[in-house]
Amino acid sequence: MTTELVAARRRRVLEAMSEREVDALVLGRQDNVGYSTGMARLWTSGTRPFGAGCVLMAKTQRTHLLSSWDAGVPISVVFDDLYPITWNPKIMASSMAAIAGLSTARRLGVDACSPSFIRAAARFAPDAQIVPCDDLLAQVRTVKLVEEIELVRSACQVAWSGVEAVLDRPDDPTPIAPALVAMAAQGATIPSSRPVVRSEGDTTVVDLGVMVDLYEGGVGGRFVDGRREHPPALVDACRNGATHEDLARSSTGPWLVRGLGMGYETPIIDAQRGQDLTLVTGMVLSVTDGDHRDVVAVTTGEPDVLSTPPYPTSRPAGSDA
Amino acid sequence: MRRERLARLRHHMAAQDVAATVLLHDPHVAYASGHVGPAVDSTHAVYQRPVAVIGHEGPVHLFTDHPSPDLATEIHPSVFPELDESVAGLVEAIGMVAGTSGTSRLAVDEVTGAMLRSGLLDGFDLVDAGRVLGPARLLKTEDELACIDRAQRINEVAMEEVRTACLPGVRRSELAGLFSSRVRQLGVDDVLIDPIFQPMPRNLSDGPRTSTGHVAFPTGVGDPLFNEEDLVWVDTGIGVEGYASDYGRTWVVGRDPSSAEQGLFRRWSAVMEASLATMGPGVTLAEVGRAAIGADRGSVPWLPHFYLAHGLGVESAEMPMVGTDLGEEFDEQFVLEPGMVLVLEPVVWEDGIGGYRAEEVLAITDTGWRPLGGWPSHLPFKT
Repeated sequence: MTTELVAARRRRVLEAMSEREVDALVLGRQDNVGYSTGMARLWTSGTRPFGAGCVLMAKTQRTHLLSSWDAGVPISVVFDDLYPITWNPKIMASSMAAIAGLSTARRLGVDACSPSFIRAAARFAPDAQIVPCDDLLAQVRTVKLVEEIELVRSACQVAWSGVEAVLDRPDDPTPIAPALVAMAAQGATIPSSRPVVRSEGDTTVVDLGVMVDLYEGGVGGRFVDGRREHPPALVDACRNGATHEDLARSSTGPWLVRGLGMGYETPIIDAQRGQDLTLVTGMVLSVTDGDHRDVVAVTTGEPDVLSTPPYPTSRPAGSDA
Repeated sequence: MRRERLARLRHHMAAQDVAATVLLHDPHVAYASGHVGPAVDSTHAVYQRPVAVIGHEGPVHLFTDHPSPDLATEIHPSVFPELDESVAGLVEAIGMVAGTSGTSRLAVDEVTGAMLRSGLLDGFDLVDAGRVLGPARLLKTEDELACIDRAQRINEVAMEEVRTACLPGVRRSELAGLFSSRVRQLGVDDVLIDPIFQPMPRNLSDGPRTSTGHVAFPTGVGDPLFNEEDLVWVDTGIGVEGYASDYGRTWVVGRDPSSAEQGLFRRWSAVMEASLATMGPGVTLAEVGRAAIGADRGSVPWLPHFYLAHGLGVESAEMPMVGTDLGEEFDEQFVLEPGMVLVLEPVVWEDGIGGYRAEEVLAITDTGWRPLGGWPSHLPFKT
């Protein structure tokens, strides 16, 4: 991930804050913090309790970041703008109070919050109205920058290395184990989703997701003789302007089209959800139909499939060619 | 286990006049309902999160499409608290136990943007769900202890194997892959933290710069390639039925420890022994901390941004915590009771040589304490 990408993302967030007249933006979700600051915090699985992971200030354009050290902190954040991890709410409140401009903020954006944060904010920013900004971040993140698309593409190739390791060891009693080793050999040690490996006769069903350099990659499918079955029509249907109805019509099994970037993102479209949503150019989507999953970037023409197999695609399994 | 946990939770709801508890945080949902989701990235967990709603009577209402087997809960289709289009489902869920008019006290652990926009919690007196879950979670049942013990033993076995692979020219990611695959082979799906194998500086001035002046750990930065000079702090955790293990050791890379490094381990052992000698029901956290400090010639033998010890359960760091920035008064007032779990993690440091850090997990019993996990060797250090 380049410093230019980090700067570009941060600029997008600050511009969106300005449009919505948000004076200060407090982010708790790791992916939002990573998007806005470039900080990659030590990964832990599952949800995290809400806490101020970073604070972006509109007026000063400064980023204040939760970290007790400068390791892993992007160069755009100076040491004095770090605030330390703490177990003590009073110390956290003082850290917030010390952020220039926060005490006079009128509109305090959050991507989520908790009752105790609401109470604390009433003291460190007494004039501020809390404004939900999860949608601000979601909107900013929906259309990807070129470098983001390439990061997803390479993360998908890491996922493929896991798939190939599974297929190379058909008799392994723990079929996921070789996939974990193979992906780790590429430096990738963080699963994004629950891995799936199962056999159905001659067919092996695999679905793997992985986080690489904060971006997600993934692929899934039904494999015969080491080759994946044809992509379903739903993959090709993911084009600029496609509606819920277009996607539903193209699907053949249980399906899900959802944003993919720094993990699971919006839009989320399936049989029940996202009825009013339309795909636009620049979205990156994880497209699942039955056991098949591809990752695509939406363009005005054919989707750019980011999860292309590492072998020639002219002869997938089940092909008569 | 599930019945006992729920009874404890409701006891603390009643004591704090909480009419209903709404849980969105995975470990909280697991505690209240028994449902344990997979160990996936936080973004996946957030959008696919189960939600639990608990009143004073009746079953726990669990909203998920993929419930764990054999739950004694009433299962409903997923509500998606992240999405504006799902708010109606959430209103209905909360209404099941709290009524629809908000005059009562509601405990909730997270308020999403969609929840804020909808105003569905307006009028309720909101308190952090941690206030009812925290005290409930402090005292573990025998079943809970058994889960932690099993997770810890599997973690120990896997890590002792990984240790023999920690050789010059190997990368952190390779060890992490080996660990995750080995854990799977031992029957555990959930690795709760990206495995840490961090080569440590020998001098604090070697950096990184920290807010405490002590050493930075765990940073999770980069993918270091180990060499023979390295002193490596390791830290891993896995989950069994939602309960976490916590394994910490200090390793050297393909050699024996130097006599100076061995000296660090002796100092660490003295701190551990003194802490354990003090441990038991009726003891305050402050007494444990003082014993550790006394054993290390008055230095504070733990990382100042963390603690000497922390609890362990459905989360890998929970109460009780010894020696945090909550301050001495907190530690003086907090008394250990049977059923509490502590992970002792002293750190000894000597500039120029480096540091030794390792963790041991224990449960407070009626008469003292007992280990959770088998507490294996500290190889290659000599006891």
